[in-house]
Amino acid sequence: MESRFQRVFLVALLLGLLSASLSATAADKRATSEDGELDKIITPDLERRSIKESDLDSENFEFGLFYGLFSVEDFGTNEVQGVTFAYHISENLFAEAAYGLSTLQKTSYELLSGSVQLLTDEERDLTYYNLSLGYNILPGQVYISDKWHFDTSIYLIAGAGNTHFADKNYSTYNLGGGLRFYATDWLSLDLSMRNYAFTHELFGIGKKTNNLEGRLGLSVYF
Amino acid sequence: MLNDIRQYPARLSGNLQRSGRRLCIWLLLLLSFSAVADEPLQVTVQDAFINVHNGAGRGYPIFHVVERGEVINLLKMRTDWIKIETSRGITGWIKRSDIFLTLGPDGKVPEFRDTERKDYLTDRFELGAAIGDFDGADALHVNLGYRFTKNLSSELRLSQNRGAFADSDIVAIAILHQAFPEWRVSPFVGIGAGRLKTMPSATLIQTEDRTDDMLQANIGIYTHITRGFFMRIELSNDYILTSRNTNQEVNEWKVGFSVFF
Repeated sequence: MESRFQRVFLVALLLGLLSASLSATAADKRATSEDGELDKIITPDLERRSIKESDLDSENFEFGLFYGLFSVEDFGTNEVQGVTFAYHISENLFAEAAYGLSTLQKTSYELLSGSVQLLTDEERDLTYYNLSLGYNILPGQVYISDKWHFDTSIYLIAGAGNTHFADKNYSTYNLGGGLRFYATDWLSLDLSMRNYAFTHELFGIGKKTNNLEGRLGLSVYF
Repeated sequence: MLNDIRQYPARLSGNLQRSGRRLCIWLLLLLSFSAVADEPLQVTVQDAFINVHNGAGRGYPIFHVVERGEVINLLKMRTDWIKIETSRGITGWIKRSDIFLTLGPDGKVPEFRDTERKDYLTDRFELGAAIGDFDGADALHVNLGYRFTKNLSSELRLSQNRGAFADSDIVAIAILHQAFPEWRVSPFVGIGAGRLKTMPSATLIQTEDRTDDMLQANIGIYTHITRGFFMRIELSNDYILTSRNTNQEVNEWKVGFSVFF
């Protein structure tokens, strides 16, 4: 039994050696033939590459997803989710477009009276979009260890846009600030607050509302 | 050769990182604007030294310098900063303008555009957004422009006005003329024509939506901020050709920003 195993191993070993030596000689042959050809050719000058701006990968665009809580005056605090798209103009300035979705709760009047319904379920769906300009006011770094640090940035942002709910559009101004934490060059975490100011006439007279949103986002740069 | 072997792990991890990032972008956007070069972009420092910061901003500390004759790899660019890697594998950020203190493999200064305004006069397209006031209504504007020459351009304008009594949308085309495009603060004039769709608030006025033609005359200024980025302030006189007996004249102002590309 033992000798049989030995034989099998020996055969396997022989076969392995044979194939290895064959491939080695093949490689040798190839190498020598290449060398031979190379000797015949007059080697041209090394490629002198010119460097252009377009060759370098630029990462000025940012795409992000966020989730947060949006407090809409009279309509409760609701979950909000959305997307952002930003262009970084300089190390300080960036332009951001945002789109968010939320659903409104019943007003306290609706809850207390029991039967009154101001808005239908469809009219309670809220969407908003805006264009804003941000300024990185306090750029910084956090140091975890000797060799490990992360870039951060505290920014202020302001802009204008539109809020849609109750089957109507409301011109909306937004003002906010946030903290951006760069996990790597191309991935950042964003913890921020926004205030959305708009006027609506749902209760008969024009009412100016300030609506706060707190959110957590994740962005990639490309 | 030895150098190559030493650089290999760094390059490999760089490649992995790059492909990971590309995957993310592909998943998220299904398109990628980044053209990642496979071979490293190498330049040789030609000044006494170049400061290397540990972040992409002027306030970030200088933790390293690259000296004359040193070969550095250019990794990526973010706003006015370039991420580099030295032959010893140290990575950091140099100012974009410091690229002019280096030479490429062909012995020439890399072809990077200056951040001056004049370098962006050759860019054909303009994308802009603005906020403003349209006869008491809050207005939002976006515009897409195309430059025929450095003085003359055309643009498509979309506006959304939200008023107390009515909302309206405007779609217009316009021709703009900049007499002195190379100035940092450059004035322009324009004329346009378009359509105004008015949607009165249903609760207040019982009328139907209506669409009117309109003519626009504009004056404004572009102010260069950095690279292809401009601030744009504009006054517009709109003449609305209504179906009623009298035509309506509206003055609007806009303030916003534009990017040329």
